[in-house]
Amino acid sequence: MIDRILASRQSQLALFALLAFAVPLLLSGNRYFAFIAGITLVHVLWASGMNLLYGYTGLMPLMFAGIAGISSYLVVGLTSIGWSFWLAMPVGALAASLVGVVLGLPALRLKGFYFTLCSLVIQTVITLAFVYFVNLTNGDTGISQIPLPTLPGGASLHGLPYDLVLAALAVIGVFVLIRLVDSGFGRRLIAVREDDELAETLGIGVTRQKLTAFFVGSLYAGIGGAFYTPYVGFISPRSFDVLISLNVWLMVAFGGRGTIWGPVIGAVLLAPVPFLLQDYYMIKDVVYGLLIIGVIVLLPAGIVGGLVRRPKPDPEIVPATVGEGAR
Amino acid sequence: MSDATLIILLSTLTTGLMLGVIFSLVAVGVTIIYGSIWMPNAANGQFFLLASLFVWSATVSFGLHPAFAALLVIGASVPLSYLLEATLVRRFYDVPNRNISYFVLTLGITQILAGIFSITYGVWSDQFQIPPIVAGVTMIGPFPIANNRLAAMLIAGALLAALFALLRYHKYGRALRAVFQNRDAAALRGVDVRGIYRMSFVLGNAVVFAGGVLFACAYSFDLTVAWTMAITAFAIMIIGGPGSVLGALVIGIVFGFTQAIVSIFASPTVAAFSYLGAMLVILLFKPSGLFAR
Repeated sequence: MIDRILASRQSQLALFALLAFAVPLLLSGNRYFAFIAGITLVHVLWASGMNLLYGYTGLMPLMFAGIAGISSYLVVGLTSIGWSFWLAMPVGALAASLVGVVLGLPALRLKGFYFTLCSLVIQTVITLAFVYFVNLTNGDTGISQIPLPTLPGGASLHGLPYDLVLAALAVIGVFVLIRLVDSGFGRRLIAVREDDELAETLGIGVTRQKLTAFFVGSLYAGIGGAFYTPYVGFISPRSFDVLISLNVWLMVAFGGRGTIWGPVIGAVLLAPVPFLLQDYYMIKDVVYGLLIIGVIVLLPAGIVGGLVRRPKPDPEIVPATVGEGAR
Repeated sequence: MSDATLIILLSTLTTGLMLGVIFSLVAVGVTIIYGSIWMPNAANGQFFLLASLFVWSATVSFGLHPAFAALLVIGASVPLSYLLEATLVRRFYDVPNRNISYFVLTLGITQILAGIFSITYGVWSDQFQIPPIVAGVTMIGPFPIANNRLAAMLIAGALLAALFALLRYHKYGRALRAVFQNRDAAALRGVDVRGIYRMSFVLGNAVVFAGGVLFACAYSFDLTVAWTMAITAFAIMIIGGPGSVLGALVIGIVFGFTQAIVSIFASPTVAAFSYLGAMLVILLFKPSGLFAR
């Protein structure tokens, strides 16, 4: 009975929404735990955006955090010159999506490792730019005491209401992803992921699908970045460097790429890890590194992909041949 | 020409050549591994730093002679590579599209090593310097150069020449190039493909370690050198053509001189921007590189 109810995506989404709103309410007595829950919800949103690109389109964008950072710095800059957060947020998120589309252009020519390397280079350039343009970003020192969003009436959004806003964003993010994946657009993306040349011959506009995926995925990054910034109150180039991209990627890969709930579970399990390791924060990088290796070696399909779908026998082993290097 | 300009010229020339041979050495190590196993080793910068730090520990903490420490560390890379090959690398030899798995895997290794270094060495010191192997200074006209740096440069150059000869004329080198070009055909001709994979992993890492050791002998360094080196080596490999040893050699020297010249007027960040830009252009318009076979 419960099995059958849980089999439909609507009820899964309802259950997730229930948990997303209930957890901050239950934790509202302890601000620290509620804060961890809020950060986790932002990561759910980010992991869903990364999942659209990595899980469904088959591209691994290591500049994801950089795109979130562009939105974040833009929102901070605009609010500091007097804009309302509610005006600056959509502008920042939209700017991030447009930048994401432009930075996604290499995906039209490059696949697999070459695209990932390219995105790593782009991420490095973005991080260098955050450090280099000191008058806009305050360089390595970072920006602190970022004001909270104000509500009509002059109060500021903080504490439990802010957590609930983040919960709503995470639920909307997952809902939109479900709708996208179940639509024709989602099926075309999967066709592109599996074989983009074949997809092209079937009349699918590969360019359009890929760029749309970048627009939507970067919108997730941008909205997440915009709401993350006042919530945490401090940003620096390190808040959006390649390690953050890798962490979000790890949530998707660990949970199960190309499934709706895998990355959500990955984010819920991994986003709190840095807080649990607070007293041993030095070993955080080592733990993440070990997890990355563990996922690649032991769980290539992720938790959900490995358990829910019966593992298929290994695909026929294709020996490496000439021309491999050129791909 | 006045003495001042001559000194600037000679200084740029030697710095360029010194950085160039180090860059080439590391890039050759990376490209040998990528060309044969199809493994982009993102951890090369951390391996480079590991070698530098080990030499520093052996000389400064344990008081070994730097030349002995250098040989010891390069030798230590061999069992280390065998261990990595047996535990992690070997699993993916037959996986299609394994380069992306290897890339992510080595990014994981990078994160682990970076974490370990910041916990250990990062706490001890910001700058690391190794006592010179050879003392004294040689004058080239009006320009003084430390004998130590000159020796490191000559050794690196000799190593590059030896590697080039090995890959071109020795039986192992010919087998390696056969596997580069066509794994199945090489296997049919009796080449032990897995043996060659293992050999090139060990050789490539030993070369990267040698680069780190020689760099540590010539310059003082800090922990950020790992990241810079990783990016530089990848840029050289991509621009020269993945798997092309000649490409790595030539582009490595070019990059060395670029860095030496750019550092005269601008910060090293600008040099990094220019590598990354060049790499992006090559990736987008000629992903097989300038020296593709």
